[in-house]
Amino acid sequence: MPDEIKRDPVAAMQAEANARMVCAILAGQVASLRERMDASESFDLLWRTTALLSWLSGLLGDLSCTRPHANEVLQRERAEAIAEVAEIRRALDALAFMQTQRQDFARQIADCVVTALERLAVAETPPGQNFSLSDLKALYVSDDQRRVHESVEQRCCGK
Amino acid sequence: MPVILVLDDSATMVMSLSHILKGAGYEVETGMNGREGVTKLNDGIKPSVILTDLNMPELDGIGFIKEARKIAATRFTPIIVLTTESGGRKRDEARAAGASGWLTKPAEPNQLLSVVKQLCPTK
Repeated sequence: MPDEIKRDPVAAMQAEANARMVCAILAGQVASLRERMDASESFDLLWRTTALLSWLSGLLGDLSCTRPHANEVLQRERAEAIAEVAEIRRALDALAFMQTQRQDFARQIADCVVTALERLAVAETPPGQNFSLSDLKALYVSDDQRRVHESVEQRCCGK
Repeated sequence: MPVILVLDDSATMVMSLSHILKGAGYEVETGMNGREGVTKLNDGIKPSVILTDLNMPELDGIGFIKEARKIAATRFTPIIVLTTESGGRKRDEARAAGASGWLTKPAEPNQLLSVVKQLCPTK
Protein backbone atom coordinates (compact mmCIF):
# COMPACT_ATOMS: atom_id res chain seq x y z
CA MET A 1 0.00 0.00 0.00
CA PRO A 2 1.44 3.44 -0.91
CA ASP A 3 2.53 5.62 2.04
CA GLU A 4 -0.05 8.38 1.40
CA ILE A 5 -2.89 5.78 1.64
CA LYS A 6 -1.43 4.34 4.85
CA ARG A 7 -1.44 7.80 6.37
CA ASP A 8 -4.86 8.92 5.09
CA PRO A 9 -7.82 6.76 6.27
CA VAL A 10 -10.16 8.36 3.71
CA ALA A 11 -7.78 7.46 0.88
CA ALA A 12 -7.51 3.92 2.32
CA MET A 13 -11.31 3.57 2.34
CA GLN A 14 -11.49 4.85 -1.22
CA ALA A 15 -8.81 2.40 -2.31
CA GLU A 16 -10.73 -0.46 -0.66
CA ALA A 17 -14.01 0.59 -2.28
CA ASN A 18 -12.20 0.79 -5.60
CA ALA A 19 -10.76 -2.71 -5.18
CA ARG A 20 -14.22 -4.07 -4.34
CA MET A 21 -15.66 -2.38 -7.41
CA VAL A 22 -12.91 -3.93 -9.59
CA CYS A 23 -13.81 -7.37 -8.16
CA ALA A 24 -17.52 -6.81 -8.82
CA ILE A 25 -16.83 -5.75 -12.40
CA LEU A 26 -14.49 -8.70 -13.01
CA ALA A 27 -17.14 -11.05 -11.59
CA GLY A 28 -19.64 -9.60 -14.09
CA GLN A 29 -17.15 -9.97 -16.96
CA VAL A 30 -16.38 -13.61 -16.16
CA ALA A 31 -20.10 -14.36 -15.72
CA SER A 32 -20.69 -12.89 -19.18
CA LEU A 33 -17.84 -14.99 -20.60
CA ARG A 34 -19.36 -18.06 -18.96
CA GLU A 35 -22.68 -17.43 -20.74
CA ARG A 36 -20.81 -17.31 -24.05
CA MET A 37 -19.30 -20.72 -23.36
CA ASP A 38 -22.69 -22.28 -23.99
CA ALA A 39 -22.28 -24.22 -27.22
CA SER A 40 -25.52 -26.20 -26.97
CA GLU A 41 -26.56 -25.18 -30.50
CA SER A 42 -23.36 -26.67 -31.94
CA PHE A 43 -23.86 -29.85 -29.93
CA ASP A 44 -27.47 -30.05 -31.04
CA LEU A 45 -26.33 -29.80 -34.66
CA LEU A 46 -23.72 -32.52 -34.08
CA TRP A 47 -26.31 -34.86 -32.57
CA ARG A 48 -28.78 -34.18 -35.37
CA THR A 49 -26.01 -34.97 -37.84
CA THR A 50 -25.23 -38.28 -36.16
CA ALA A 51 -28.96 -39.13 -36.05
CA LEU A 52 -29.20 -38.34 -39.77
CA LEU A 53 -26.15 -40.49 -40.52
CA SER A 54 -27.70 -43.32 -38.59
CA TRP A 55 -30.92 -42.96 -40.60
CA LEU A 56 -29.01 -42.86 -43.92
CA SER A 57 -27.05 -45.91 -42.92
CA GLY A 58 -30.33 -47.73 -42.21
CA LEU A 59 -31.69 -46.68 -45.61
CA LEU A 60 -28.60 -48.00 -47.37
CA GLY A 61 -29.01 -51.28 -45.52
CA ASP A 62 -32.68 -51.47 -46.53
CA LEU A 63 -31.72 -50.85 -50.16
CA SER A 64 -29.36 -53.81 -50.03
CA CYS A 65 -32.22 -56.00 -48.80
CA THR A 66 -34.71 -54.82 -51.43
CA ARG A 67 -32.22 -55.22 -54.28
CA PRO A 68 -30.28 -58.36 -53.41
CA HIS A 69 -29.32 -58.94 -57.04
CA ALA A 70 -27.73 -55.55 -57.68
CA ASN A 71 -24.32 -55.75 -59.32
CA GLU A 72 -21.32 -56.62 -57.22
CA VAL A 73 -19.62 -53.23 -57.48
CA LEU A 74 -22.75 -51.45 -56.25
CA GLN A 75 -23.14 -53.92 -53.36
CA ARG A 76 -19.52 -53.46 -52.33
CA GLU A 77 -19.74 -49.65 -52.50
CA ARG A 78 -22.93 -49.72 -50.45
CA ALA A 79 -21.25 -51.86 -47.79
CA GLU A 80 -18.25 -49.51 -47.75
CA ALA A 81 -20.56 -46.48 -47.43
CA ILE A 82 -22.42 -48.08 -44.50
CA ALA A 83 -19.12 -48.82 -42.74
CA GLU A 84 -17.82 -45.29 -43.37
CA VAL A 85 -21.05 -43.69 -42.11
CA ALA A 86 -20.88 -45.80 -38.95
CA GLU A 87 -17.27 -44.76 -38.38
CA ILE A 88 -18.00 -41.05 -38.86
CA ARG A 89 -21.02 -41.32 -36.59
CA ARG A 90 -18.93 -42.90 -33.82
CA ALA A 91 -16.26 -40.20 -34.22
CA LEU A 92 -18.85 -37.38 -34.09
CA ASP A 93 -20.51 -38.89 -31.02
CA ALA A 94 -17.15 -39.14 -29.28
CA LEU A 95 -16.21 -35.58 -30.28
CA ALA A 96 -19.50 -34.13 -29.01
CA PHE A 97 -19.26 -36.06 -25.75
CA MET A 98 -15.66 -35.01 -25.06
CA GLN A 99 -16.34 -31.37 -26.01
CA THR A 100 -19.40 -31.27 -23.74
CA GLN A 101 -17.33 -32.43 -20.81
CA ARG A 102 -14.53 -29.94 -21.52
CA GLN A 103 -17.10 -27.14 -21.75
CA ASP A 104 -18.66 -28.28 -18.48
CA PHE A 105 -15.25 -28.21 -16.82
CA ALA A 106 -14.53 -24.68 -18.13
CA ARG A 107 -17.98 -23.57 -16.93
CA GLN A 108 -17.26 -24.89 -13.43
CA ILE A 109 -13.92 -23.05 -13.28
CA ALA A 110 -15.69 -19.85 -14.39
CA ASP A 111 -18.36 -20.41 -11.70
CA CYS A 112 -15.62 -20.66 -9.08
CA VAL A 113 -13.95 -17.42 -10.25
CA VAL A 114 -17.30 -15.56 -10.29
CA THR A 115 -18.18 -16.75 -6.78
CA ALA A 116 -14.75 -15.80 -5.43
CA LEU A 117 -14.82 -12.34 -7.02
CA GLU A 118 -18.37 -11.72 -5.78
CA ARG A 119 -17.29 -12.62 -2.27
CA LEU A 120 -14.29 -10.26 -2.53
CA ALA A 121 -16.61 -7.50 -3.78
CA VAL A 122 -18.82 -7.63 -0.68
CA ALA A 123 -18.56 -4.26 1.11
CA GLU A 124 -19.31 -5.14 4.71
CA THR A 125 -17.08 -7.97 5.86
CA PRO A 126 -16.87 -8.41 9.65
CA PRO A 127 -13.29 -8.27 10.98
CA GLY A 128 -11.51 -11.60 10.68
CA GLN A 129 -14.03 -12.92 8.16
CA ASN A 130 -12.33 -11.88 4.96
CA PHE A 131 -12.43 -14.22 2.00
CA SER A 132 -9.46 -16.47 2.65
CA LEU A 133 -7.35 -18.95 0.67
CA SER A 134 -9.15 -21.83 2.36
CA ASP A 135 -12.51 -20.31 1.37
CA LEU A 136 -11.23 -20.25 -2.19
CA LYS A 137 -10.05 -23.87 -1.96
CA ALA A 138 -13.49 -24.91 -0.75
CA LEU A 139 -14.98 -23.75 -4.06
CA TYR A 140 -12.89 -26.08 -6.22
CA VAL A 141 -14.52 -28.99 -8.00
CA SER A 142 -11.46 -30.71 -9.41
CA ASP A 143 -7.90 -31.64 -8.59
CA ASP A 144 -6.74 -29.64 -11.62
CA GLN A 145 -7.96 -26.45 -9.90
CA ARG A 146 -6.25 -27.47 -6.66
CA ARG A 147 -2.98 -28.12 -8.50
CA VAL A 148 -3.10 -24.64 -10.13
CA HIS A 149 -3.82 -23.12 -6.71
CA GLU A 150 -0.85 -24.89 -5.11
CA SER A 151 1.46 -23.92 -7.94
CA VAL A 152 0.51 -20.21 -7.79
CA GLU A 153 0.71 -20.19 -4.00
CA GLN A 154 4.18 -21.73 -4.12
CA ARG A 155 5.31 -19.27 -6.77
CA CYS A 156 3.99 -16.25 -4.87
CA CYS A 157 5.36 -17.37 -1.52
CA GLY A 158 8.67 -18.40 -3.08
CA LYS A 159 8.29 -21.90 -1.60
CA MET B 1 -35.72 -51.28 -22.32
CA PRO B 2 -33.46 -50.68 -19.26
CA VAL B 3 -33.74 -47.23 -17.71
CA ILE B 4 -30.71 -45.13 -16.78
CA LEU B 5 -31.18 -42.14 -14.48
CA VAL B 6 -28.77 -39.29 -15.34
CA LEU B 7 -28.18 -36.42 -12.90
CA ASP B 8 -26.05 -33.40 -13.82
CA ASP B 9 -26.54 -29.66 -13.37
CA SER B 10 -25.25 -28.97 -16.88
CA ALA B 11 -28.10 -29.19 -19.41
CA THR B 12 -25.62 -29.83 -22.24
CA MET B 13 -24.00 -32.63 -20.28
CA VAL B 14 -27.41 -34.21 -19.62
CA MET B 15 -28.27 -34.01 -23.32
CA SER B 16 -24.92 -35.45 -24.31
CA LEU B 17 -25.18 -38.38 -21.90
CA SER B 18 -28.78 -39.02 -22.98
CA HIS B 19 -27.69 -39.09 -26.64
CA ILE B 20 -24.92 -41.59 -25.99
CA LEU B 21 -27.08 -43.85 -23.81
CA LYS B 22 -30.15 -43.76 -26.07
CA GLY B 23 -27.91 -44.60 -29.02
CA ALA B 24 -26.78 -47.70 -27.10
CA GLY B 25 -30.37 -48.84 -26.53
CA TYR B 26 -31.20 -47.44 -23.08
CA GLU B 27 -34.17 -45.40 -21.94
CA VAL B 28 -33.00 -42.27 -20.12
CA GLU B 29 -34.54 -40.31 -17.24
CA THR B 30 -32.84 -37.06 -16.26
CA GLY B 31 -32.56 -34.54 -13.43
CA MET B 32 -30.56 -31.33 -12.92
CA ASN B 33 -29.65 -32.00 -9.27
CA GLY B 34 -29.87 -34.57 -6.51
CA ARG B 35 -33.24 -33.29 -5.31
CA GLU B 36 -34.80 -33.89 -8.74
CA GLY B 37 -33.23 -37.35 -8.71
CA VAL B 38 -34.81 -38.21 -5.35
CA THR B 39 -38.18 -36.92 -6.59
CA LYS B 40 -37.95 -39.18 -9.66
CA LEU B 41 -37.17 -42.19 -7.47
CA ASN B 42 -40.04 -41.37 -5.11
CA ASP B 43 -42.30 -41.04 -8.15
CA GLY B 44 -41.60 -44.68 -8.92
CA ILE B 45 -38.86 -44.54 -11.56
CA LYS B 46 -36.86 -47.77 -11.27
CA PRO B 47 -33.52 -47.23 -12.98
CA SER B 48 -31.20 -50.14 -13.71
CA VAL B 49 -28.19 -47.82 -13.31
CA ILE B 50 -27.81 -44.27 -11.98
CA LEU B 51 -25.18 -41.86 -13.32
CA THR B 52 -24.63 -38.82 -11.13
CA ASP B 53 -22.42 -35.75 -11.02
CA LEU B 54 -21.04 -34.72 -7.60
CA ASN B 55 -21.15 -30.93 -7.59
CA MET B 56 -24.78 -29.97 -8.07
CA PRO B 57 -26.98 -27.31 -6.45
CA GLU B 58 -29.75 -28.05 -3.90
CA LEU B 59 -28.65 -31.63 -3.24
CA ASP B 60 -25.19 -32.74 -4.36
CA GLY B 61 -24.17 -36.17 -5.62
CA ILE B 62 -23.11 -37.52 -2.22
CA GLY B 63 -26.38 -36.33 -0.65
CA PHE B 64 -28.33 -37.92 -3.48
CA ILE B 65 -26.54 -41.28 -3.10
CA LYS B 66 -27.32 -41.32 0.63
CA GLU B 67 -31.01 -40.58 -0.07
CA ALA B 68 -31.19 -43.15 -2.88
CA ARG B 69 -29.78 -45.83 -0.58
CA LYS B 70 -32.63 -45.17 1.86
CA ILE B 71 -35.23 -45.96 -0.83
CA ALA B 72 -35.97 -49.70 -0.98
CA ALA B 73 -36.12 -49.85 -4.79
CA THR B 74 -32.65 -48.35 -5.24
CA ARG B 75 -30.89 -49.75 -2.19
CA PHE B 76 -28.75 -51.98 -4.42
CA THR B 77 -29.00 -50.15 -7.76
CA PRO B 78 -25.54 -49.45 -9.21
CA ILE B 79 -24.69 -45.76 -8.87
CA ILE B 80 -21.81 -44.44 -10.95
CA VAL B 81 -20.30 -41.06 -10.13
CA LEU B 82 -19.29 -39.09 -13.24
CA THR B 83 -17.40 -35.99 -12.15
CA THR B 84 -14.48 -33.62 -12.68
CA GLU B 85 -13.31 -34.55 -9.17
CA SER B 86 -10.50 -37.09 -9.19
CA GLY B 87 -9.32 -36.78 -5.58
CA GLY B 88 -9.15 -39.79 -3.30
CA ARG B 89 -10.96 -38.05 -0.44
CA LYS B 90 -14.07 -37.35 -2.53
CA ARG B 91 -13.94 -40.87 -3.92
CA ASP B 92 -13.86 -42.35 -0.40
CA GLU B 93 -16.73 -40.09 0.60
CA ALA B 94 -18.80 -41.25 -2.37
CA ARG B 95 -17.98 -44.90 -1.70
CA ALA B 96 -18.94 -44.52 1.96
CA ALA B 97 -22.25 -42.97 0.87
CA GLY B 98 -22.95 -46.01 -1.32
CA ALA B 99 -21.50 -45.24 -4.79
CA SER B 100 -20.69 -48.32 -6.83
CA GLY B 101 -18.20 -46.82 -9.28
CA TRP B 102 -16.42 -43.70 -10.44
CA LEU B 103 -15.62 -42.11 -13.80
CA THR B 104 -13.58 -38.93 -14.07
CA LYS B 105 -14.54 -36.35 -16.71
CA PRO B 106 -13.54 -36.16 -19.48
CA ALA B 107 -14.45 -39.81 -20.03
CA GLU B 108 -14.52 -41.45 -23.46
CA PRO B 109 -18.01 -42.56 -24.61
CA ASN B 110 -16.73 -46.14 -24.94
CA GLN B 111 -15.43 -46.03 -21.38
CA LEU B 112 -18.83 -44.87 -20.13
CA LEU B 113 -20.77 -47.39 -22.19
CA SER B 114 -18.54 -50.27 -21.20
CA VAL B 115 -19.18 -49.54 -17.50
CA VAL B 116 -22.93 -49.16 -18.04
CA LYS B 117 -23.13 -52.29 -20.21
CA GLN B 118 -21.28 -54.34 -17.62
CA LEU B 119 -23.79 -53.32 -14.99
CA CYS B 120 -26.82 -53.46 -17.26
CA PRO B 121 -26.50 -55.22 -20.61
CA THR B 122 -28.95 -54.32 -23.38
CA LYS B 123 -30.65 -57.21 -25.17
